[in-house]
Amino acid sequence: MLMMAGKAVAAPEFKIEIKNHLFFPPVLTVPAHTKVKLRVSNQDPTNEEFESYELNREKIILGNSQAVIFIGPLEPGEYPFFGEFNPKTAQGKIIAE
Amino acid sequence: MLLTSTIIILREVLEGAIFVSVLLALSSHYGLRMIWAWLALLIGFAGAYMYASKLDTISTWFDYTGQEIMNASIQITIVLLLTVFVLLYRRPDSRLVKPILAIMIVTVALTTTIEGSEILLYLSGFPDNSSALYSVILGGILGAGIGVSIGALLYYLLAYFMANGVVNAAFLILALFSAGMLSHSVQILTQADWLPAQRIIWDTSSLLSETSLLGQLLYAIMGYEATPTANQVVAYVFGVLLILLLPRFFVKNTRPHAKSD
Repeated sequence: MLMMAGKAVAAPEFKIEIKNHLFFPPVLTVPAHTKVKLRVSNQDPTNEEFESYELNREKIILGNSQAVIFIGPLEPGEYPFFGEFNPKTAQGKIIAE
Repeated sequence: MLLTSTIIILREVLEGAIFVSVLLALSSHYGLRMIWAWLALLIGFAGAYMYASKLDTISTWFDYTGQEIMNASIQITIVLLLTVFVLLYRRPDSRLVKPILAIMIVTVALTTTIEGSEILLYLSGFPDNSSALYSVILGGILGAGIGVSIGALLYYLLAYFMANGVVNAAFLILALFSAGMLSHSVQILTQADWLPAQRIIWDTSSLLSETSLLGQLLYAIMGYEATPTANQVVAYVFGVLLILLLPRFFVKNTRPHAKSD
């Protein structure tokens, strides 16, 4: 019953790439108050973990593969995320507006 | 590199160590030997290896949300098994020793599978014989050491409480751990769009950040979440009630192992 509710509206999709342990684009603007579908594609051969305390999201993105993460609906603001396996370089943020 | 690997491995090991400690304290109190835990960890390590090597396939399931569905299924299974465990534990029946042992072995093996696979997926990124790998392994040993030490501390603390009749201390930690797992399942099912997206209902990150040491520790013990959604809070409360309250309906006045709590 609860499971069906989430599928009703198609969420707008945004793409993030991981290359050389960096996120592209490093800053992504998404609509506020809306559920958003992130497609994270890891171009590196090594695994990465997409992590954000502000977004409450955590997911392993295997090397040379992709993953889907739904986020939001977000209040307007900035939501940093990082790659847990390479936290010094892999940093980005999502801006909801 | 050293610090990153210490933190990553500590986070994974800590959660497992706390869970094993609580069950070990309960099983010792029940009069069982500790050998079951070694068996469970062994099965869990094998499971972690298998899960990590199959994750490329699993990840593509359900439009690239297979990881969430799989992890949530495993975690909900653990929560249900723990609920049965508490019901059995509270009954004074020697025939229940085997199912109690079986549940402890399966739940620890499943927890180890999830946490262990994450460590393996992290470590697989470093080429053999590289200096980075050396640093990472050193950091990993450090992280694992700290995690196991905190687990051991919790075990002796609980054993002390239980020896003095406060068996409910262990059940309380088990209830919080289990509730945290259920709440986390709700979060990852939302992340996979299997549960409706929701706004957060409060934000305690300025009081206690999830990134702080205490925040991390509380996350491992009781699934602390600074910015939960309503569904997560409901799941958490339900999870606590499952472990703490349900046995009171099924097992009336027969708490053989609780002497004076």
